[in-house]
Amino acid sequence: MPETSRMEKPLLGSLAETSGEVEELAAGESKPAPESDSESLDPSKMRKTKPGVKRLALTLSILICFLLGAPFLLKTVEIYRSPLPFKDMDSLSSSIESEPLLFPCQLQAVFLGFDDLTDAQQLGSSIADHMRKVAGDDRVCGSCGSNFNVSVFIESENDCVGSQNDGSSCSWKCGLLKHPYLEAKWKDDDLFDEFLDTVLLDNQKCSGSNGNVYSVVVVNRNEDVRVVVGKHRHGWITGKVSGQEAVVRIAEIFVNVFMNGGKEEGSIHGEFMPVGADGRVVLSFSLLNADPHDWIYDWDFQRVHESLLIPVIEALAPIANVSIESQILFHTPKSFLSHWDEHRRSYIFNTKDLPFFVNSNEWHLDTSIVAGGRSKILHIVVYIPSAKECPLLMQLPNGEISSTNSFISPMWGGVIVWNPSGCSDTSVGVHHSKRTIPFQDLQNIIEIFMGQLRQLFGLKSQSFYFGSSGKVNLLTSRSGFTKWELDVLSRQHACFNLQSCANTLGSLSRLVQSLPRMIIMDEIGKQVEYSLQAARLARSNASLGVYDDSAVSSRQARSLAEDAFFHPSIMSVSYYSFEHCFAVYSPFFLPVGLHVVLAVFKEWKRYKQEKSKYLAWKAMGIAS
Amino acid sequence: MADLKSILSLLILQFIIFALVSASSEEAKEEFNEELLLKPLPDRKVLAHFHFDSRANLSTSNGGYHLHLFPKAIYQLVRYMNYNPCMQAIGNLSSYGDYRRASIFATISSSGRFKSFKARNLRKTIELESFIKMLDQTRLARINVTEFRLQYIANAEKLKIFAQPFHSQFSRVHKFHIREMELSFTQGRWNYERWGSFDPISSSNAKPPGVELWAVFDAPPPKVDALWKNLTHTLSGLFCASVNFLESSTSYSSPEWGFRASSGSLRYGTLPREAVCTENLTPWLKLLPCRDKAGLAELMDRPSIYRGFYHSQRLHLVSSDSASDAVLAIQLEQTLTVVLQPVRQTEAKSFKAISAMQPDWSLSSIFGRKVNKKCVLAKSSNVYLQLDRGLVSQMKNIWVKNMGTNPDDAAFKGAVRNPTFELSDAPDKVIKEVGNVENEESSLLYVFCIEKHAETKPFDLALTWKLPVVWSCSHAPLLANRFLVGSGNERGVIVISLKTINHSQSLVCTDTSEGRCALHINIFQVVPWYVKVYYHTLRIFIDGVIQPATNITTKMRVSPSEDKVSPGMLELALKFPCSMKSAALYLDFDKGFLHINEYPPDANQGFDIPSAVVSFPDFRSSLNFVEDSQPSPLMSRLQERSPTVAYTEVLLVPLTTPDFSMPYNVITITCTIFALYFGSLLNALRRRAGEEERLLKDRANRKLGMLPQILQKLLARLRGKPVDQHQQPSSLPSSTKHKLIFKVTLVALVAIAWHYYFR
Repeated sequence: MPETSRMEKPLLGSLAETSGEVEELAAGESKPAPESDSESLDPSKMRKTKPGVKRLALTLSILICFLLGAPFLLKTVEIYRSPLPFKDMDSLSSSIESEPLLFPCQLQAVFLGFDDLTDAQQLGSSIADHMRKVAGDDRVCGSCGSNFNVSVFIESENDCVGSQNDGSSCSWKCGLLKHPYLEAKWKDDDLFDEFLDTVLLDNQKCSGSNGNVYSVVVVNRNEDVRVVVGKHRHGWITGKVSGQEAVVRIAEIFVNVFMNGGKEEGSIHGEFMPVGADGRVVLSFSLLNADPHDWIYDWDFQRVHESLLIPVIEALAPIANVSIESQILFHTPKSFLSHWDEHRRSYIFNTKDLPFFVNSNEWHLDTSIVAGGRSKILHIVVYIPSAKECPLLMQLPNGEISSTNSFISPMWGGVIVWNPSGCSDTSVGVHHSKRTIPFQDLQNIIEIFMGQLRQLFGLKSQSFYFGSSGKVNLLTSRSGFTKWELDVLSRQHACFNLQSCANTLGSLSRLVQSLPRMIIMDEIGKQVEYSLQAARLARSNASLGVYDDSAVSSRQARSLAEDAFFHPSIMSVSYYSFEHCFAVYSPFFLPVGLHVVLAVFKEWKRYKQEKSKYLAWKAMGIAS
Repeated sequence: MADLKSILSLLILQFIIFALVSASSEEAKEEFNEELLLKPLPDRKVLAHFHFDSRANLSTSNGGYHLHLFPKAIYQLVRYMNYNPCMQAIGNLSSYGDYRRASIFATISSSGRFKSFKARNLRKTIELESFIKMLDQTRLARINVTEFRLQYIANAEKLKIFAQPFHSQFSRVHKFHIREMELSFTQGRWNYERWGSFDPISSSNAKPPGVELWAVFDAPPPKVDALWKNLTHTLSGLFCASVNFLESSTSYSSPEWGFRASSGSLRYGTLPREAVCTENLTPWLKLLPCRDKAGLAELMDRPSIYRGFYHSQRLHLVSSDSASDAVLAIQLEQTLTVVLQPVRQTEAKSFKAISAMQPDWSLSSIFGRKVNKKCVLAKSSNVYLQLDRGLVSQMKNIWVKNMGTNPDDAAFKGAVRNPTFELSDAPDKVIKEVGNVENEESSLLYVFCIEKHAETKPFDLALTWKLPVVWSCSHAPLLANRFLVGSGNERGVIVISLKTINHSQSLVCTDTSEGRCALHINIFQVVPWYVKVYYHTLRIFIDGVIQPATNITTKMRVSPSEDKVSPGMLELALKFPCSMKSAALYLDFDKGFLHINEYPPDANQGFDIPSAVVSFPDFRSSLNFVEDSQPSPLMSRLQERSPTVAYTEVLLVPLTTPDFSMPYNVITITCTIFALYFGSLLNALRRRAGEEERLLKDRANRKLGMLPQILQKLLARLRGKPVDQHQQPSSLPSSTKHKLIFKVTLVALVAIAWHYYFR
């Protein structure tokens, strides 16, 4: 307390004279002056002199010094808290909660060979009405909801009409379907798909749609009705359909396939996306040789990686940062026994055995160094059974044998059982022979893996979709995911990521506000700031309809929010608590503060008392 | 047509041959060997040394990231490049000039060289190459592709937002740049006197207690520390040990020549107090392709190997990975060295005979298990039984005594049953050491191939002694010990004492260049910073006589400790005369004070000074065995001429440990004194002495309450004065009485209210 001591020095100097005065005063008061009038001047009721204010001023000045010093003290013992934009954080979380991300969808329907249809505008609105009916009220995260725009074009032999609703219009250059080779291309879906893609790409001049236009082409022909959805963002309906029927079908394709990804009840929900909080996925492939004494199988994974997996990684790039690694493990038995089926001449395991298939004691499917703290690892296990349980087949609950012989475990990965050819033949057992899985089989395995990966990401793995109005054929892409499926995934991901980012930031804001004495590093502030920035970017991208960019920045927003929330400095418990602060400072400030306050109180009381005495004397003097 | 067919078939045949050849070369790329060396020790114990060797030769040009046999974790430790060919770096230029809302995609090819960079704008796509060029032109940023790190040169303020996401994306992509690394977990101390100090096993597998880690990095010196920190964290995760404590700069040092020759990229750290147990062994075993399911590792029964006298589990990694090399060669050597006491079977032998006899042992008696089958993935799987030189010469003596003839060399080698001991299985090969000094015997190595022996029944090698044998192991010229001198909590002396083991012999002459025989010794000692060593106090005593240090030391490198930053390190190269019997090095030190939160939980136990390393550069221990063209990894390791190294004991230094509640006590006392001073000062300032006296007198004149009266009485008695008797109210007035009762009840009520309120 240098201030107080410095201040006290002059006061001490004045002490002598003060006390002298007091003594004098007291003497004057104590003994009644013999020469004064004999009026009884009761010292407890009256006094002649004005009461002194020196002591009052002194005690008051000390109290004021204390009060003035208090903010400085609080400032010095303050802990550093980086200012977080609480308002922005809360507003982000509340706005995302109240209105989920809605992406605009640009839809286009082209009617070919419908002579009876002329009013494109009216057709467009009827499609939109049907779509609203199909979609209902449920707002799935990442769908377009009712935020879509339908444009319709009708092309017939001699006419070409287009609906020109609002600003974001598309134009359809008529006559292109009168292509000379068109007849030949009808037969082959893939060929027609590519053809349609080139036609549509050339023709789409949709302003403000960023090229993500979903189209359905309806061709009125004299044949059975066929509905196909291609690898890109379009589908087609051929056959003898009436205009009304076509409208219903188009609406269903738009809503259930293009907007919702052809999902059904029971498929994995979007929230359980197997993507780590930092937006990374590590696909860890393991080849398990259950018993190397029977046979040792090797694989040419390098080739698989280069030829089959790279397109998948590239396709999934906006959604997740995928990396791939592989290993071969030995002595990895499964942890239950299968039973021999004489009829099928093979060993059978049931679906109820599946929880015990993954033997975590013996399968050392390690976490890898590649996967950082919050990355997701998906284990893809190729299991080669030992000779005493080969061939090993999986029986489905309905009694049939699974054609893929594999299963998935959501958020963990998948297991594929691969039986070496001719393993049931006991004479083959050449011991300790090293063999390689044929590339043909590896391709099959990868195909199964693709199906598993699609399921893990919540997509269907069948090549058709049964809607209420009929069957829709879905073409499959080489990379495993078609463009419209990736769009669905991107939308879902962006939405889910933003939700989780908003959740995290909201909890962070609540946590930080509830613990006022927690240290908040600058780094956290920066991460929050960047996260908010990325979230803003994702939302603006989403409103513009740029799905993959939105997914990318939402991923970043989420990862930064998680980084901020799980920052090591927040995790540490030992922050400077208020109790600690109190314990350190109270031994000094409690007694001293009490003294000072009491002194001021007493002095003030006395001053008032003495003043009233003086006033009484004065009044008496005046009266007399 | 027929021609075409034959050509086709030829082509197919050729293709098949090519495929076969390529497949075989593929197999040769990765191999695994397992070996076990058993050795009876002179003090009735048995040394078991497991040696697992995995190596991989990978060509990096065509990828080669997918391993078949080599453990993935170690591979990723050596070369963790993100081989994802489409690794993306996404940066947001959200607040950067015209490039608003642009995203950058950087595509990096699998070979690590960048393929294409493209930047995506919402409106139009621009090529990133031009973008980068633009950045370069504006001298804003440059992308270092091999490092995957964005370097910004100038104008960092503007680039902050741009660079940050880039950094966060790429910072995880790193390599550890390990050229060589060794991690050992040890329990117990190698007994150099009894178990030998001059053979390859003791100099490379005798390790200091706890954890020792050293690594040589293939990186420029400024980066090495960061790499070391990353490595410690990774290893601690990998081996379930607190290796990450080696991260702090106070716990590791960078020796230049005292430990082993390096060029500033070597880091060395030890944790003497780390407890070693199964949780460290399990991840170590996971690196073996067969784990402990088959092969020699089957013998590792946890209770029996941890019951041993010495247990050291080691992992040595060498990689020849450089940017220019297209081939990456990694060699992983895992060894487990245990010294076990065979359980003595009480047979019908006289007590005297039993006490003199070496105990008989078998694999099943020392490990409790047998080798059931070979690890099929191992290229070779051998068990060796090594007989020391001393033991062999004793055996020869016994042979001569029993048979009367000098044993024929070949007969002696081939004999499973000899007068000294008996083996349960016939060895496949017996190898004799060559190139030894003439007058000494050469040691023998019995080789057992598991493949042959474990085919029909589990392999259980047993050795039965027939006659008592006494021999001793080969020793290094000097035996090093280290201890503390001095008492109290203030200062002390570290003493490193070097003694010849055979007191009669003088040292072997190693260097006679200057006409005098000299013995070279290197000493490497790391001391934690709180033990403040005064290096100028180094005193060297030879045979009890002090010698000027300058005569003895040839080279010296000292890096003094810096408080809370770095440990002290001493590297000494000494040259002793050969006639010396014993030498001692004295170093004074002061004990430092630690900050209250730097004390470990059990501060009163004391603090460890890590082992000093004493190496004899001129003494190279190697066992040269005549062997066929390709020696196995263990054999080549034995034949390697490695310098003899010995570790001294770990020292326990008691430091002054404070009372950990002390800061609060100090605070409380200081504050109370301040408060007293302040209060009395304030009192003195505002007190009116005269008035108070007058008031007191007034009060005395008035009637007193009971309590003050009693107090006054008491006070008076204490002062020794009689109580003023002039006023003595016999009874209290009723009003005061009521007041008192009221006050008491009020207080009681408040207390009760308080009590109930806070319940």
